[in-house]
This record gives sequence, structure tokens and C-alpha cells, in this order.
Amino acid sequence: MAESRSTSTSTSKARSPKATPTPTTDGTPRRAVVVGGNRIPFARAGGPYVRASNQDMLTAALDGLVARFGLAGERIGSVAGGAVLKHSKDFNLTREAVLGSALSPETPAYDVQMACATGMEAIVGLSNKIRLGQLESGIAGGVDSTSDAPIVVSDALRTILLDLSRAKTAQQKLAAVARIRPNHLAPSAPTTGEPRTGLSMGEHQALTTAAFGISREAQDELAMASHHNLAAAYDAGFFDDLLTPYRKLTRDQNLRPDTSAEKLAKLKPVFGTQLETPATMTAGNSTPLSDGASTVLLASDEWAAERGLPVLATVVDAEAGATDFVHGRDGLLMAGAHAVPRLLARNGLTLQDFDFYEIHEAFASTVLCNLAIWESEEYCRERLGLDGALGPIDRSKLNVHGSSLAAGHPFAATGGRIVASLAKMLAEKGPGSRGLISVCAAGGQAVVAILEAA
Amino acid sequence: MSDSYVNLVNSGFTKTLAKRLGLPRPAHLRRHRQGEPLVPGPVLVVSDAASGDAADAVAQRLLDWDLDVRRHADPAERHGAVVVVLTEVSAPADLGAPMLEVGSVLRGLRPGGRVVIVSRAPEDAGSTATAAARQGIDGMMRSLAKELRGGATGNQVVLTGTTAPTAPSALGALRFLLSARSAFVDGQPLRVADGGAEPADWERPLAGQVAVVTGAARGIGAAIARTLARDGATLVVVDVPAAGDALAQVANEVRGSALQLDVTADDAADRLVEHVRSRHGRLDLLVHNAGILRDKLLANMKPATWDPVIAVNVTAPLTITEKVLAAGAFGDAPRVVCLASTSGIAGNRGQTNYGASKAGVIGMVRASAADLAAAGGTINAVAPGFIETDMTSRIPFATREVARRLNSLQQGGRPIDVAEAIAFLASPQAGGVNGQVLRVCGQNLVGA
Amino acid sequence: MTAARPEPVVVALAGVPSLGGLYARGVAGSVRPGRSRTVRSDDLPRTRLHVGGVSPDPAHLTDYQRLVGETGSDVLPAGFVHVLAFPVATALMVRGEFPLPLLGMVHLANHVEQRRPLTVTDELDIEVHAEGLAAHRSGVSVDLVATVRADDDVAWVGRSTYLAKGYQLSDGDAADDDRPRESPDAPTAPPTADAPLAPTARWRLAADTGRRYAAVSGDQNPIHTNPLAAKAFGFPRAIAHGMYTAARALAEVGPRARGEAFTWDVTFAKPVLLPSTVDVRIADDGAGHAFRVWSSRSGRTHLEGAVRPLP
Repeated sequence: MAESRSTSTSTSKARSPKATPTPTTDGTPRRAVVVGGNRIPFARAGGPYVRASNQDMLTAALDGLVARFGLAGERIGSVAGGAVLKHSKDFNLTREAVLGSALSPETPAYDVQMACATGMEAIVGLSNKIRLGQLESGIAGGVDSTSDAPIVVSDALRTILLDLSRAKTAQQKLAAVARIRPNHLAPSAPTTGEPRTGLSMGEHQALTTAAFGISREAQDELAMASHHNLAAAYDAGFFDDLLTPYRKLTRDQNLRPDTSAEKLAKLKPVFGTQLETPATMTAGNSTPLSDGASTVLLASDEWAAERGLPVLATVVDAEAGATDFVHGRDGLLMAGAHAVPRLLARNGLTLQDFDFYEIHEAFASTVLCNLAIWESEEYCRERLGLDGALGPIDRSKLNVHGSSLAAGHPFAATGGRIVASLAKMLAEKGPGSRGLISVCAAGGQAVVAILEAA
Repeated sequence: MSDSYVNLVNSGFTKTLAKRLGLPRPAHLRRHRQGEPLVPGPVLVVSDAASGDAADAVAQRLLDWDLDVRRHADPAERHGAVVVVLTEVSAPADLGAPMLEVGSVLRGLRPGGRVVIVSRAPEDAGSTATAAARQGIDGMMRSLAKELRGGATGNQVVLTGTTAPTAPSALGALRFLLSARSAFVDGQPLRVADGGAEPADWERPLAGQVAVVTGAARGIGAAIARTLARDGATLVVVDVPAAGDALAQVANEVRGSALQLDVTADDAADRLVEHVRSRHGRLDLLVHNAGILRDKLLANMKPATWDPVIAVNVTAPLTITEKVLAAGAFGDAPRVVCLASTSGIAGNRGQTNYGASKAGVIGMVRASAADLAAAGGTINAVAPGFIETDMTSRIPFATREVARRLNSLQQGGRPIDVAEAIAFLASPQAGGVNGQVLRVCGQNLVGA
Repeated sequence: MTAARPEPVVVALAGVPSLGGLYARGVAGSVRPGRSRTVRSDDLPRTRLHVGGVSPDPAHLTDYQRLVGETGSDVLPAGFVHVLAFPVATALMVRGEFPLPLLGMVHLANHVEQRRPLTVTDELDIEVHAEGLAAHRSGVSVDLVATVRADDDVAWVGRSTYLAKGYQLSDGDAADDDRPRESPDAPTAPPTADAPLAPTARWRLAADTGRRYAAVSGDQNPIHTNPLAAKAFGFPRAIAHGMYTAARALAEVGPRARGEAFTWDVTFAKPVLLPSTVDVRIADDGAGHAFRVWSSRSGRTHLEGAVRPLP
């Protein structure tokens, strides 16, 4: 390894991008760059990853990243990651994944949790640490398994078991055990229901969809584009250096390259069926439950240059948002629409100043409602406090290599998928190109971010 | 993958039984382990009368390697190796004395012992009698190899031109054939010209070299990557995207980097060059290991079974080598090693496509040797015989049993054996080996 | 009517009575042979039951908060105070002088004024009296009013309106009104009473919902806990406690939106049979938060009400 380092430094310097000194002396933070990413193909729930745990998948994704960038045995500044559905034994999930990976065991790690924005939040957090000079390198990760989801015992049984563990005498123990009833033994699995409302994400989105009057046809069209775009990207080899197969899966299992408007139109609505307006959301224009993991390698320019590693994009800025969905004021998944204007204002940009828009397709209508909000004069004025509408975007720049509807959505892994793909798209597009990301999350939240070609 | 027969006939009751029944008893082959002696006992250096000085010079170099060198045969001694220097023979009659001396010590040759003959190329001979003598050595060596037992092998270093037996390339080849690294190389003449250099460290001859191995996710390719890494190289391992998970494991194991690449893609060479240039600045060793099989009788052959075999096995190595050369991405002393096959030499039923591709590789290696030489490098091929891999483990039992015993060592080779030969051809001391095909087949009867 | 009433008689209890014993007495009293089904408006006892020094139990508070979805704050949820006062009200209703039977009483409406927050460290004085005996189209209704003080200051007042079915008020107005269906300051009803409305939440109420609330509230009324008992009172299955659904709606509005001092009104229209799934809508109506709970299947309203800030 020492030999290869010495041979690489001299030659790699030539292509090193403008590197700012560390730490910066003028008070402005230095750049945090995306070196690349790696994910495993996303599987459908109950698919090829059915026996794989979050730790297994995150480790696999990490190992693929380490292999791609030749980081075996290397001490990375920090690895941050998480999962939305998490076993209690996975309290230190990311660190455990690091210990099982080819990275140096001296690599520290911490868990992040922000529902479906977990991956984004991990990326933003690490980028900021790199910008501040606290880290030279970081790996952000996210993983989720709906196939290996934690099953918990019923509250009643849990209480009894806890009492049992506290019982001191045999009599107390017997008394605790005697309280167990057969119906206590039924396990409770996690749902995608919002804890505060009991409505599933799809049911919530159905309310927003109805409120904005998004048509079935528009949703199906977006879903079809997602599949076709993702299939085209695979055929063009776009994912050859973004993805490492796992458990014999080489492409996202949910991908249906041959889907058509006719096929999508045949599907029965599954959400919003109890509303006054016709239900429009089907399994075809909603994201399926998925299993998968993703990772993104972030670094300072210097760190990447020393290793002759590519620099695809910089993480420019990010903003989180949240809506009041509990009192029915806003849609559960509309926080991205609320956060983007703040992000744009801080960076002196308009909504049209982007070459790519990556809006996470939790549901086709989530994306369409976001766009509708930005196009609505009234909403932008009254709810977002703007002077007027942000306006429409060029739809040909939206999710150009597909998104969650086709790829699937293992909750915490989606941020990493999007950031790695967008960074590569920006690098291919060339200097000056810019992308906007919006990933909505449970709890009425979202993280939005700007990436620029490095 | 494992050959349990070898274990059976070498241990316990089944060993006795096999002896009584006169069953073939393949030996456990001596394989390289760091820190173990180069040869398992004293080395006897023998020569014909005219080659005495050359033999003395060789013996001196062997002493430099801390070997226990003998110049006179003692039938009571148990030798680890015999080096026969016949560089100056001028007539077939010159062969008798030295070879009978060799014969006197063969019974005492230790398990895993070596007989290496150093001779000169017949076509360089000044007289017909010399040519006859030199060619005679070839047949003699092949017959001797078949006589040896206990995992011992017989091979030949054939010096071309005026190459001295003590030239770095000649000694490099000799050392390889003496060592455990050549465990499955048997009955082979290896042609060596001047050139090459002695490595600073014989245990890490590839230190500082940047190596690319295609088809490295599993089997022989993974073994090549591990072996090159063991010898000090920095690895870039390549395989198709679909094999990416296994490839990542190999990359991380050898602390290299993985490049998911279909070698038949139009931009394969460009992506390869971009990767090695950005990460390491250049490329020193290029191993074209990626290969596929689509066996069909020619009568049943379709484009779907013919074309990919040609594209992966020979067109890709051709194109990539040319493009890497043209891009100037090679270092100062590039080494290209291709995977040929005994099927490319002897042919195999149902493998017209594969045979064409592998013989094509041999043609390519020979034809491009001059280009590589001009760039300060070499290009060679290794032709494996029956190797115990995932691929051969799928051959039906009876066919497999026959195939793996059809050689002088009476067993299949291991991926590491192929990898060792490649690591040798990639090394600085192999600089005098160019345009050659080295068989790693245990002296397979097929195409011998 | 009230002007004519004699001075109240305060009866001090040593502590909050046990509901188990009260029910036994209540059941016995309800089936008292020869009990008159006609009552007069001045039949209500002048008794005010008083219990001082009630100290909320933190574990009890936690169980309650978890069950109804309140945050685990030290502030007592308004519904939890109701739970503390409920045994005292029950004690009043099982007294021989009380003209209506405990068993089979239906909770029609509930009105709570939370004037200032109460916390788990407060010592509470609870006083309960009955008033407002009134005719109802299917019986006689009565208000049980609980006043809860801390540091001699009224912090919480709860008025629960119950119906005794099949009873008559001999001197009341004609039983043509259904007064308790809406409190005076109840929200304006949703535009189309039983039309589909966008829910903001959905509750899946399991079969054991009644038993679980009974365990926390002490209200072991068998119509909530036992399907057979519910059948005896004319319900096909066990029904959810009204105060459980009302408390969940209050929790759904949440501590920030309701503020420190507020009124919490609820009218119970149709019992929630268990198990069932109900849709819920919480909406800011300008004056506070209105809520409505209806059957996900039939769309029929179970309860509605509002949480409004107190000045």
C-alpha cells in the first residue's frame, strides 16, 4: 500500500481540483465533496434480502464502496448512518457495520435517525463537519429492511416481562408470569402509520392528492417515466460504478422496464378509497416496501486528491422542513415544498436555476403536489410567505434517471441513492451544473439540498 | 473443488490400501509459503563436460541464494533439486554422461523435488549435430518429467540467442522452476532471452507495481489478484458489474480497488485507463484473465454461443492492450499476461468457439511481443490444464476424475498454480520471457 | 329552580372511594325493587361530596398518558383529572338519596374547564355535586359537576351529563329537546353532518380498548368491558368509554394548540362499538380546534366537540 501511495501522489496532483487550505484562514468553510457512492440493488420486501439484516446490508454496501475506492484498511473520519426500522439490538448499527467491513476498525461511526430523510441528514451532517475542518473524510449510509423488520411483543406482555425482570422473590416472579394471557403473545409489527394520527403514509398522501386534485393519469405518467428512465440508465451502464450486486440481485427488483400507461391504468386504487373524490393512488404510482442500503463517500478536496479519487460534486447547502399535518393544516409529505424556498433564498437562487431536480417519489402524487405548491400563487403567498409562486420547473430535468417509484425505497437508503446518482449526473454534465434534492419523511418532515458539479 | 482422492491416498489406512492395489498415488504438491526454503534439500548441479564453466557460474549464483549446492552426485544423498546445465552440448552423444549422473540420484529426490535443465535453443545452433543435441534435450526432459513421482517436476530453461545462463532472466526462470511457485508446471520448456532484472526482494518482486486483473471476482482471477498482491503489487480488480459483490470482497481482501466493467464494452479501455491513471498514475501489469465458456458442438452452434466467447476471450484482450498502449498508460516495463488454455493448443470437442478464442490469444501474444518489447515490456500467455475451480467442479464426476488424472502429477491444479505462473511472468526477473505460452497443466497428455 | 334549592350539605370523605365497592352498591341500588321510575326536579340530593388532599400517583398518570396518547408531561391531562374525580361522582350517585340508578346510565356530553394547569405535585381538593335534572326524549338527564381545587383555587371544573333511560321527570318540560346533544358553546357542526370528510387521523380501536381504559380509569362499567353485559343493555358489542375517545381527541389537538387554560367540550352521538376503526378530523376553526370522530365504514358521527382557549 505504501508503494502505491508514493506512486499515486505525484500523478494525481495534476488533476486535483482547486484545493483550499485546511483549515481555511478567511473564515469561510471549505468545500465538502462527493467522491462517489455505492449501494446494493433495492429489493422488494420479502425478496432476495428477506433473511438479510440491516447490518448485513449496510456492511455489504460499505464493502462495495471501500472496494470501489480502494479504502480497505483505511481509517475514515466518521461513518454516519441509520435505519428507520431498527431492532433494539442495532442501537449501534453503523459502528457494527463498520466493524464488519473492510474499513479500519479505528473508524468511528454514529447512528442518525430522521425517518426517510435519515440518509440525507447523515450526508448533510458529515458534509458540514468536513466544511468545518473537523473531518477529512466521511461515509454516509442508510439501510432499511421491511423484510427483517423488528417485531415487538404487545405492550401488556412487555410490561409483565419488565416486572418479571424486576421481581426479586419467586413469589413475585410467579405472580408476574401468572398475569400473561394468550392474547398477550400476539406480536405487533411496525406499520408505516404515523404515530400521532394512525393514518398510513399513503392515506395521508391521498388526502393531499385529493386536496390538490392530482389526476390518476398524471401520477401514472410520472410512475411510467420513473421506470423507463431507470431502465435506460441501467442499460447505459450508469449504475456500473454506483451499485454493487448483492444476493444475486444485480438491478433494482422493483424495476419494470416494460411498464406502460395501459398496465398502470389497470391497477386498483389502494389509498384514499374512503374519500369523497375518486381514489387515484395505486400500487403502481406508490413506492413499494423495499429492502436495501446505500453509502456515499464524502471528503475534503485534499483528501480526495491525495488518493487520486474523483470529485463529482460539492454539497453546497441543505435545509430541513416540517409541516403541521396533525391539525390537518398541511400535507404530511409537503415539507420539502416548504423548505425549498428558504434554501433558495439563502443561496440567492430561483427554482429554475437547476439542471436536475431529484424529488423523492414516495408517491407519484407527492412529487406532483410539490410541483403544484410551487406553481400555486396562493399557496406560496399564504402558506410559504412568498411574494408569489416559485413557478414551474422544466419537467425534463426531473428524476432523469428514475427515482423511488422504480428503484424502490428502503427508507433510510434513499438519500444516499439520490446524492450519489445526482453527483455523478452533475460530474457528467460538467462544471457549473447544479441539482436540487428534496426527500420527504415521516412526521411531516423533509430535507432538501443543493449539489453542484465540483 | 477439492480432490479428496489425493487426501485418501496420502493418509492412514487408505494410503496402505492404495499402495497394495497399485492405484495411482498423486502427491500433495509443494506450494509456496513465505519463509520456506526455495527447495526441499541440497541442490545438485550437473553438466556435460563442455558446460562446466557455465555450471560453476550457475552453482555460484545458487550459493548466493543460500542454497546447499553439490557439484558431484552422491546416490546416498537426498536432493531437493537437480540443475542440469547443458548449454554447451554440441552432439547428441554429449547428453549421456550428465543424464546418467542425474539418473543415479533420482531415487533419492525428495518429495516436491525439481529437475531443471538449462539449455539453448536448437534454432540458434551453429551445427546440425548441436541442433540435434539441443532438440534431444526437449524429448529427454519431457520423458524425465513423466518418470518423476512424489510431486517432483522436470522442466527446462531454453536460452535463446547468446543469453548467459547467469543472465537475470535465465536465473529468474530457473528460480521459478526450482521453487514451489511452479508446483503444477511440469514437462515444460521455457524460452528465455536476455533482459529482466533481479528484484530487490525475492518475496515481493512486484512491490510498487500497479496491476490490473480482469475477471478477478472469483476462481483463477481472484487467485491471481491475491498472488500479485502477496508479491507486492497494488491491485485494480475488474469484473462485470453483475459479479460486483464477489469482486468487492476480493478488492478489499487485497486492499486494492474494484472496477465494475464489461471488458467487451466500447469504452472499457477508456474507463480502465481513466481509473488507473487517476488512482495510480499508470499501469504496470495487465492480466487478461476474464474468460467465458459456451460449449456446443459446432453443428449446434449459434451466434449467441459463438460471439460472446470470441468477444470476451480474445477481442477484449486485443482491443484493451492496443488502447492502453496507444494511450501511453503503461509504466516503464509493462507486463501483459493472457490466459490461453490447453484447449487452444490441443482442441476439445464442443469447444470450437473456445478453442478459437484461446488459440487466438496465443497468436495475439506471439504477434504483439515485438510491440510490447518496443515499449520495454513483455506479453505472454499461461495455458492452464485441468484446474480445480467452480467451473470444473460442475463437470460430471467420471469425466472429471479422468480429466484430472490425465497428467504426470495425476491431479488437477489449483487456481494458485496458474496465479503463480502469472506472477512470475509479471515479475522483473521474467523480463526476458516474451511472446511465450507457459503451460500450467502438470504435463497434461492433451496437446503435449 | 335552583333558587328554591336549600343550602348544600358538604359530606367529607376520608379519601377517594374505591370504585369496586361503589359498583357493588350501585348495582344493588339499581335493581332495588319497587324503585320509582318517575322523579321530580327537586329530588336531587343537596349533598356535595368532598375529598381533600388527593395526590396524583405518577405511575397512574403515566399509564393514563400512554393509553390516550398524551405526552408524558407532569401536567395532568384534563381527562386524567376527570378520572380522579369520577369515583367521587360515582359515590354520590350510589347514595340512597340519589334518584337515578347507576347501572345503565349513558354519558351524553362532557364539558371541562381547565382554568389553570394542574401538575402531579399538586394536592387536589375534589368536590362533586349533582344538578340540572332534566327531561330527555328517552329518559331523564342529570349533570354531575366536579370542581377541583389546588391551593384553594379552582383549577378544573367538569360537568358530565348522564342519561337514565326509561325515567320520567314528573314536573319538567316536555321531553322534546335533546339539550345535551350540544353544549351552548359547542362548535358549529361540520357542513355536511354525515358526508365524507377528510380525516386527519385514523384510530384502530381494538376489542380490548374498553378493558384497557377501565384498568386505568377504574370505570369498570361492564358495557365497556364485557360483550355479554353490553348486549344486556342493548348494544351488539362492548362499547368504548366516551371519555376515552374524548381524551384521545384532546391529545390529538395537543398541548401546544390547546394552551394552558381551555375548555374541552364533547358530545357523544353514537357509541363506538369495539373493535372498530374510526376516522378523526382535528381542524383549526378560528376559535380553537374542533374535532369530530366518525365511523370509517358508515361515516356516522360518534362524537364531536371542540377545544378552545380560555381567556
